[in-house]
Amino acid sequence: MNQPEPTIILDDVSYRYPRSKRYALRHLNLAVSRGEFVAVLGENGAGKSTFCQTLNGVIPQTRGGRMRGRVIVSGWDTQQATVAELAQRVGIVLEDPETQIFTTSVLNEVAFGPENLGVPPQEILHRARWALEAVGLNGYEDYAPTALSGGQKQRLAIAAALTMHPAVLVLDEATSQLDPMGTVEVFSVVRELNKQYGLTIVMATNKGEQVAQFCDRVLVLHEGELIARGTPREIFADTELLERVMIRAPQVSQLATYLEERGVHLTDFPITPDEARRGIIHSIRGSH
Amino acid sequence: MSTLVQYIPGESAFHRLDPRSKIIFMLLVTGVIFIVQSLWVASAMLVTLILLWFLAGLPFSVLKGLGQATLGIVAFLIVVQALLYPGETILVHPIIPSPVPIVGGVGRVTLEGILFALLLSLRLMAMVTLLPLVTITTPMHSFLLGLVRMGLPYRLAYTTTTALNLIPILQAEANAIVDAQRLRAFQVFEKGNFLEKLRAYPALVTPLVIGAMRRAQLMAVAMDSRAFGATKERTYIQDIRMRRTDWAFIVCSVAYVALAAALNYLAL
Repeated sequence: MNQPEPTIILDDVSYRYPRSKRYALRHLNLAVSRGEFVAVLGENGAGKSTFCQTLNGVIPQTRGGRMRGRVIVSGWDTQQATVAELAQRVGIVLEDPETQIFTTSVLNEVAFGPENLGVPPQEILHRARWALEAVGLNGYEDYAPTALSGGQKQRLAIAAALTMHPAVLVLDEATSQLDPMGTVEVFSVVRELNKQYGLTIVMATNKGEQVAQFCDRVLVLHEGELIARGTPREIFADTELLERVMIRAPQVSQLATYLEERGVHLTDFPITPDEARRGIIHSIRGSH
Repeated sequence: MSTLVQYIPGESAFHRLDPRSKIIFMLLVTGVIFIVQSLWVASAMLVTLILLWFLAGLPFSVLKGLGQATLGIVAFLIVVQALLYPGETILVHPIIPSPVPIVGGVGRVTLEGILFALLLSLRLMAMVTLLPLVTITTPMHSFLLGLVRMGLPYRLAYTTTTALNLIPILQAEANAIVDAQRLRAFQVFEKGNFLEKLRAYPALVTPLVIGAMRRAQLMAVAMDSRAFGATKERTYIQDIRMRRTDWAFIVCSVAYVALAAALNYLAL
């Protein structure tokens, strides 16, 4: 089978912020295929947000600082294209819903981006309806964003990014301020967009349970370096790595590790509750 | 404070006006209120603005709150002007006789001073009634579009409306900081005297400014990510249209301020 062409390429990328001597990112090399759902894990200060902002050119174009290497997204070099041009390739959703909502109604909010690009109003309305439908917010057009729940606000931010018709959606800790319901809401919507429209997803997060359930691949950042990459199962089974970077595996994976240490071996290392249930039943039956 | 700017949905005739006609009304009245010298005319203008407030169907509680908030400033104005305004009709004779250098004349209260203070207070109250009349009845995006259609560059109009939007957010952040300080038994803002409060302000302002700067930086990232300022031919999903009622309202506004100016001239 032919390997699909990468949508994101990082070629030996290092970056440091203005007035800082320390590199926030060091020698990152990476290729993300079209339609992949990638999670970026790492402790606070590992460089997750910095990494996310290199993907749409905000780093270095808006934030300044010094960048080495190249980031190519959808064939565009992020240091050559303007941030506005890149906004049509890469949508970004930030951690705090309050800092990325600029208008006083849901419809105006999703229209903000295409309005800035000078898209004709009829086309904007068409895109807005599609985007709100895609995130399950149809019928909320006239609501004030302040009247929405945390999960709804983040879904609105996703819809606002979708109206720019991006090929890549980047979510920078977009669920860290949400309750468990809101977190699942956002992950489910993003997974659906990924499956239905082939949108490439890059999601910086520390929610192990959801990463295990929804993501195809995991990247682990530590002190600005990409120190591990693999499937969620490979990463969450590596207890040494998790301890080193202070990331929590899903609870069922922790349970499997605990059992393993006490001589109870589960056939497949579980990362979801269903897998754990099956593994434990299998193991109990096997012992009789 | 937040009530000054937050839109309250409604169906009144004032709500339905094009934002441009409301902005023109606001500019005209603001201009005239500052040239009016007659107490009677200033009072009449305040009364008509309050009437308009009721016609727009806006809640009386908000107006009452605004009135209470300005009481302190009004009292301050009256005291300062009564004591310092160089009037001739002396109501209260000075504590220290005038011939004494520098401090001579302190404590003198003049009729002109009190009247001038009343005029300033009426102007202030008129402004406090006028601004929310427009901002509360106009959704922020219509207000912004009104400014743009009147020729203000989009970036400037956007900055203006964002600043208005940020007031309630910063207010909430300031309250959160004061609450956090209160939880650590810091009660100067409730129980302290003026000097203690003055000394305590850096403890409130520092985190507030740092928080606001951080927010501004993140907002810049989010705005750039959505192509803010990418093209000069920005489009707008909703449009605004001047109707016959808007033109009639502008004509009435011009007549109103002309009448106020004429009455002011006659009254002097």
